[in-house]
Amino acid sequence: MLTRISGGEIIDPANHRAGKGDLWIEDDRIVEAPEGGVADKVIDATGCIVMAGAIDIHSHIGGGNVNTARLLLPEQHAAHLPRPAATPLSNAGWSTFETGCLYAKMGFTTVVEPAMSPGAALHTHLELADIPIIDKATLAILGNDDFLLSMIRDNASPAMIEDYVAWTIGATRALGIKVINAGAAAAFKEDVRTFSFDDVVPSYGVSSRKIVKTLQAAVDRLGVPHPLHVHCNNLGVAGAADTAAETISAAEGLPLHLAHLQFYSYGTEGKRKFSSAAARLAELVNGTPEVTIDIGQVMFGQTVTISSDVLRQFSARGTASPKKTVIHDGDGNGGGVVPYNYRNNFYGSMQWAIGLELFLLITDPWRVFFTTDHPNGAPFTTYPALFELLMSRAAREAAAAELPKAALSLSTLSSIEREYSFEEIAIMTRAAPAKLLGLSDRGHLGAGAIADVAIYRRGHDIAKMLGAAAFVFKNGDLVVKDGQIIHYRWGRALRLNPPPDKAMVRRLENYHQQRYGLSLDWFTFPDSAIAREEPFREVPCRS
Amino acid sequence: MAVAWIGNRETLVEHAVAHAAALLGSSRCPVFTFDTDVHGTRAVIALAERVGAAYDHVSGAALARDTALITDKGAMTIAPGEARRRADMVVIVGDVPETYRGFLTDLAESAPDLSEKNAREFFLVGPSRAMPSLLNGAKVTRLSAGKEGLSAALAALRAQCAGRKVSTPVSKFDDFAAALAGAKFPVFLFSGQSSDALALEMLQGLVADLNRKKRASSLHLPASESGWGGTLASVWMTGFAARTGFGRGFPEFDPWRFDIKRMIAEGEADLHLRVSSGKSGLTPKGKGVPLIVLAKTQKPVAGAVVTIAIGEAGVDHDAVVYSARTGTLRSTVASAPSALPSAAEIIRSISVRVGPEAGWPC
Repeated sequence: MLTRISGGEIIDPANHRAGKGDLWIEDDRIVEAPEGGVADKVIDATGCIVMAGAIDIHSHIGGGNVNTARLLLPEQHAAHLPRPAATPLSNAGWSTFETGCLYAKMGFTTVVEPAMSPGAALHTHLELADIPIIDKATLAILGNDDFLLSMIRDNASPAMIEDYVAWTIGATRALGIKVINAGAAAAFKEDVRTFSFDDVVPSYGVSSRKIVKTLQAAVDRLGVPHPLHVHCNNLGVAGAADTAAETISAAEGLPLHLAHLQFYSYGTEGKRKFSSAAARLAELVNGTPEVTIDIGQVMFGQTVTISSDVLRQFSARGTASPKKTVIHDGDGNGGGVVPYNYRNNFYGSMQWAIGLELFLLITDPWRVFFTTDHPNGAPFTTYPALFELLMSRAAREAAAAELPKAALSLSTLSSIEREYSFEEIAIMTRAAPAKLLGLSDRGHLGAGAIADVAIYRRGHDIAKMLGAAAFVFKNGDLVVKDGQIIHYRWGRALRLNPPPDKAMVRRLENYHQQRYGLSLDWFTFPDSAIAREEPFREVPCRS
Repeated sequence: MAVAWIGNRETLVEHAVAHAAALLGSSRCPVFTFDTDVHGTRAVIALAERVGAAYDHVSGAALARDTALITDKGAMTIAPGEARRRADMVVIVGDVPETYRGFLTDLAESAPDLSEKNAREFFLVGPSRAMPSLLNGAKVTRLSAGKEGLSAALAALRAQCAGRKVSTPVSKFDDFAAALAGAKFPVFLFSGQSSDALALEMLQGLVADLNRKKRASSLHLPASESGWGGTLASVWMTGFAARTGFGRGFPEFDPWRFDIKRMIAEGEADLHLRVSSGKSGLTPKGKGVPLIVLAKTQKPVAGAVVTIAIGEAGVDHDAVVYSARTGTLRSTVASAPSALPSAAEIIRSISVRVGPEAGWPC
């Protein structure tokens, strides 16, 4: 099957292509224009922008904590009105099925669930397998688990730690490793209530810094394409900018990714002791080339915060709206679910402004990533509105006019003139995520790439334009037309597959027998357990 | 061996499937009950959407209490592995389902290796019948509030822990208070099987109170493991737990309205599909609506209009099930593989007869 996308404005920064032209697809791949080739199907993209399918590197779309949040808040999705049932379960509010459809309609074709508890990997992958159309990937959480902390305490060799990290990635079918408030969940079990970068987990004598540095080195030496993904300590605390700054400085030349930096960019100025430190952190990021970040933008409205940072979520119980929470002490991190309503008061407005400041003051779109930390800062369905804020200063000013001046006076947002171009949007949401995750087969429109293509009809209303794609191709299948799903398919979970070290497997078998009274196979699973054809697609490690 | 029947007459599976599909297709208010693994449950829910059915687990009443705790109040919980390794004080709240006997014995026979004390004390809040012989002789101190029920005992315990006076104090409170003072991580075991909504809420209030000054948590032992696995699958597929209905073309969650037992008893349903490879699958049809059964059986279920034999998840075929030992889903290998089809396979066959295969979400 040969398809020609004709006459669109192609924006493909990875291949330095920008301008009107045709794009050819053969089956599931993008190909060079075939000499004398006659297309079986022609898509008229006149007046449209043609980009690769977008990639979301940090969105909580499936797994134990996400599902607990659904269970906690039936009233939030009971409000969904009946809609045309064009696809199975498409009107099931906040379900796996709706997640895939909504992402696809916006032109997103790959999404990373960034917080998979290794013990709940099967559950997570079962949920992801029920998300239609798009490809998925996961980051496995380490850094609060007894096995790793004990190894660090006991001065295990770097090779042994790498074997454990490699086993975890392989057994859980992950694409990388995330550390969440390193050491804090373990310390919280020993009744520690605050935990910073150089604090020590009591029973292990190991600092948060040591855990992060150990995992950062192991991930790098294993050739895991995605750098260690770090959720820093002190999320949401006024003054957390100091913690983020310390963590950025601790990169020390090795790649490191900091998640949802907005939630740390808080200073202590002003009468409320809560101010923007975005300019300071943006400058630090700009000067630290080995560091990448995503934002975790706040948008106003009801949402639910879902985090494996159990200490932070425990501390936030009092802010729950509605007043109900789940706090779970897990084998490693555990987690917490706290519903929250971001209001346009002083604090909400400050958070909103801080996220935008970071987006606009970090100069390199290859190192700043487009996220709301769905659903923590806002649901991913707010993306179109956020694109508009980034691409239009007038839209920002109009939104800011409705917000408390006291908040905006403590931020630099109003003085920033920058507007993102479509090319920068394409870098931030396509080319750069593919590079960051080691996915050479997507994020661009070069020959050989998977035919994940998003086509948007140009218009003055940026949110409308980017919120409902004119056409979306996933693996060469036309899945969206005029913002509606027209074809249903199943994506795969992208994973690394480093070979397990046999001695480490024996050691883990003994550990699970002794500590949990269960054999290791209670915690592992075959691919067939997912009950879908080819549920995974392997991504190579760096050689 | 016969594997399908229409009434009492043996038939080919495809004929039974076609008859079941025809009945479901013409039903105005079908209801489903299930007791199967995660993939079986996914198929049940997908079929429910296709024919506009409401669904519930066979142990729906007890599971509804487990579910309501989270949907209405929230909770502080701990993973079972972490409880085994850290709990130096275990408080059993009410009757714990028999299926967890092995886990309780394991708790009694193991020491919390992540606790300084390296030993644990056991307490029981609730009726004496719940005194677990399960603990292999380990000492269990029972706390009770006289003739008052579990909710009142928990309320009294919570009040006494907060230093308040109560009209009927719990027995052995001083022992409890002393153990609590010395414990680093007390864990309360609970289940919707035996605890009503008020008791579960009171327990969570107690755990929340304790966490103001020290760590404590609660371990959820669901009324049914297969039921909780089904709840998780239902939640990710529809946003809602079981007792959800598709009658109006979209999922609606209503624990009273979609109580399938009630719907059948009150004549609201006109067709019942029961999917269960356990003993509950073989229960003869009671009064009321026509019954289609998918069960592990060698003969037709009494009164059923259609019976189709299926394998037992984890026995006849590999399965994915919820495990209260790990607190999450696990994959199990068939212990005695057979040619019997899984519930998911048969339901898919029925679904294809009801509507097009394209778009089947499982």
